[in-house]
Amino acid sequence: MSKPGKFSLGVFLLVTLFLHIPLVILFISSFNSSKSMRWEGFSLKWYHELFYNSQPLWHSFYNSIIIAISSAVTATIIGSLGAIGLCWYNFKMKKAIQTLTFFPIILPEIIIGVSILIFFNKIGLNLSLLTVFLAHVTFNIPFVLMTVMARLEEFDFSIVEAAYDLGASELDMLLRILLPIAMPGIIAGLLLAVTLSLEDFVITFFVAGPGSSTLPLHIFSMIRFGVSPALNALSVVIIVGTALLAWSTKNLYSSLLKR
Amino acid sequence: MRKNYGPIYVAPIAFWLIAFLSVPLLITLSYSFMEKGLYGGVELKFSLAAYKSLLNTAVLKVLLNTIVIAVASTAIMVALALPTAYYIARSPVKNLLLMLIIIPFWTNFLIRIYAWIAILGSNGLLNSFLISTGLLDEHIQFLYNRYAIILVIIYTTIPFAIFPLYSTIEKFDFSLIEAAMDLGASKFRALWLVMIPNIRSGITTAILFTFIPTFGNFAVPQLVGGTDSWMLGNLIVRELNITRNWPLASSISVVLTSVTMIGVLFFMRSQSKKEL
Amino acid sequence: MKSSQVTIENVSKRFGDFVALNNTSLTISKGGFYSLLGPSGCGKTTLLRIIGGFEMPSEGAVYFDGVNVLPLPPNKRHVNTIFQSYALFPHLTVFENVAFPLRLKKVANAEIKRAVEENLALVKMETESKKYPRQLSGGQKQRIAIARALINQPQVLLLDEPLSALDAKLRQHMLLELDAIHDKVGITFIYVTHDQAEALSVSDQVCVLNKGQIQQIGTPAEIYESPANEFVARFIGETNYIRGKVVAVTDAENAVFESPEYGKFNIWLDKKVQLGSSVALTVRPEKIRIAPGKPSNLPPDVNVLRGTVEDMIYTGFQTKYFVRVNGAKEPLIVFRQHVQYFMDEKPINWKDEVSVWWDTKDSFMVEVN
Repeated sequence: MSKPGKFSLGVFLLVTLFLHIPLVILFISSFNSSKSMRWEGFSLKWYHELFYNSQPLWHSFYNSIIIAISSAVTATIIGSLGAIGLCWYNFKMKKAIQTLTFFPIILPEIIIGVSILIFFNKIGLNLSLLTVFLAHVTFNIPFVLMTVMARLEEFDFSIVEAAYDLGASELDMLLRILLPIAMPGIIAGLLLAVTLSLEDFVITFFVAGPGSSTLPLHIFSMIRFGVSPALNALSVVIIVGTALLAWSTKNLYSSLLKR
Repeated sequence: MRKNYGPIYVAPIAFWLIAFLSVPLLITLSYSFMEKGLYGGVELKFSLAAYKSLLNTAVLKVLLNTIVIAVASTAIMVALALPTAYYIARSPVKNLLLMLIIIPFWTNFLIRIYAWIAILGSNGLLNSFLISTGLLDEHIQFLYNRYAIILVIIYTTIPFAIFPLYSTIEKFDFSLIEAAMDLGASKFRALWLVMIPNIRSGITTAILFTFIPTFGNFAVPQLVGGTDSWMLGNLIVRELNITRNWPLASSISVVLTSVTMIGVLFFMRSQSKKEL
Repeated sequence: MKSSQVTIENVSKRFGDFVALNNTSLTISKGGFYSLLGPSGCGKTTLLRIIGGFEMPSEGAVYFDGVNVLPLPPNKRHVNTIFQSYALFPHLTVFENVAFPLRLKKVANAEIKRAVEENLALVKMETESKKYPRQLSGGQKQRIAIARALINQPQVLLLDEPLSALDAKLRQHMLLELDAIHDKVGITFIYVTHDQAEALSVSDQVCVLNKGQIQQIGTPAEIYESPANEFVARFIGETNYIRGKVVAVTDAENAVFESPEYGKFNIWLDKKVQLGSSVALTVRPEKIRIAPGKPSNLPPDVNVLRGTVEDMIYTGFQTKYFVRVNGAKEPLIVFRQHVQYFMDEKPINWKDEVSVWWDTKDSFMVEVN
């Protein structure tokens, strides 16, 4: 087999460095005692500020967690049931519903944010954590649906027919067959939904009200306020936190698949 | 025969998406054909005023700027992603290299934007470096222009070009390249004439996945763009939250959605052609 | 185990404009091994799915021992199905797959254990009970699917191309096992296949289907030796197919047949035909004998043709000759078995002049449409 050449290696290295260097700089700066980007000595004071003097930030983080968990669980229930229905049943309007589920994925986020804001305004719903929750469930549903469907498509429909044939009721089927085999997909969908919800800025920007600011919204206002070294420390904490989370869920997930 | 439980399974998803997606989109569409209300909102009167004000030079300038930024960023991203994805797909340690691309995306999207502000800002690392080496006498601003927007969009979006390209190149049968070279093609010509046509679906996916979020981007120009480098997204936010001209915000949204839909339809046509 | 007689009465099935099954009636006797044989799209799987309760027929009725089962869901019909893909539940062990129907019925654990072990022993899989389906080979999965389908003690077992995913050698072996299991449990087996060799070797009755229409029902020997029409003759095994007319009836059993390509033959009247009606004569290749030149001591009551060996395929146990009779459009196919190596026959080579002959009783007539 022919080996990739120097050109592609060069571009790969360029792209990789381009992606990593800014974050390395943030990492180093987070330990800089100076407020400017000039190195003036090692210090943990920005971490101290982040953990002890950033009440609003932690409040927004708390909001983010609440929204992420509640919206991910809701979207996972709705999306998983939808995946079972769309994957293994035929009925009228199936195509129309399938098309509808693509929309949140292909539409620019800003369109979803704008239209759902206009909708909340029209029905007279004040912006709050509830509106953030509703919006997050909406954009999370298709991602859960896709993940669970990808899992279900690995199996032949004859499994369902075999279960009926052997005497299973619809509930037996759901609890004993469909949910257990879909479970790795459902868990992956849930984790994806949590991640997307924690990460979302654009849609939340439109539907969050006073007091319902999430962590990304808070970071946005911090950035507009000017460069703050506490942000450097925060980004390091986020990267390390995500890495730990990814590592532990990967272990959980592979043990699930092995079962 | 048994009852068909399909509709029961899909009822929640159908209900939710109709209530919180279809209905909002239709309301937005209808608002674009109404008169603006005095303090935001709309008057329930049919009007094409919003679409007429789209033809305003200021709006057209923003549209043009959006197109330039989206096309340039997409072109650069695909051009960089193609060799990158090729290198990863041919490497014996693919998963490790993929992880290298993914890890930077473990941090928040806004933090990734912020990193560039910390580098390019007037008090940023680049300024400090250039001044300390004597290359620069006073602080200059690298941010708040079109190039900063393109740079940061590439930084935040390029994996969406790399991943689809990687997955198609990974499936490509490289003995075809060897066959082409055996028949007398140079390696570059073999890749260009044999691999590229076979990974076309990956290329269109990469273009679509980078063009759509770029064209509708709002956070990046808001944070690293200047007033003369606005994109449609910024205009929508201004009309929605500050000027409170909701019909205009809606009509711009309709334009943005239409452009996206045209892109998606092109994409689906090219995909279905491939299957023929 | 108890078994059922299955009666299909005037069953039709249409999917939109497509007629999958047209006015089909047949009776499958209690405890039989019954094959539905035909090419893909012939309606055999549709018929099986109607019996199993996965499809409703557009018209007609299905009776088990005289009771119409169409209103009943699959699990109330005393029928179980072996699926082409086995349909083992991937998240359950072999034991739990087989136990599944009993768990649904909340049978006591001790009883489940006894029944599952008994059924696993029936398919010789008692040692694999803790494995998961993905750890099993194709043949093993097949056995588990059988054990699972039998645990509810169905009166009819439906098998939908159960061997198609196995390789040729394993298929032979599983076929014998299926036959043995059928003998042991004694219930009605309905076996869908497109493979004529499978159908002929295990069934006591075969129903040949094409384009939603029953072509012939009979024992394997009847289907092979006396096909009802051209489709059956060509679908089952290889055959020579000669078009012509009956020009004279000699007596109650014999007639004279004339073909534009081959001239006149004496034939045995295996069925009644009108004098002068167009028929085709089919002769199986193994019924035709071959010898070089002009053999002098031919038996009586044979039809002899002379031709040239156009091609020959040696397959070890036999040689297949393509013999072109002067003026014929297609060569005749002739099998010669090598009963004794070298000693038995004079060698026949490419381009040799040969004689071929068959007993007048070894050809049969087929209607020509």
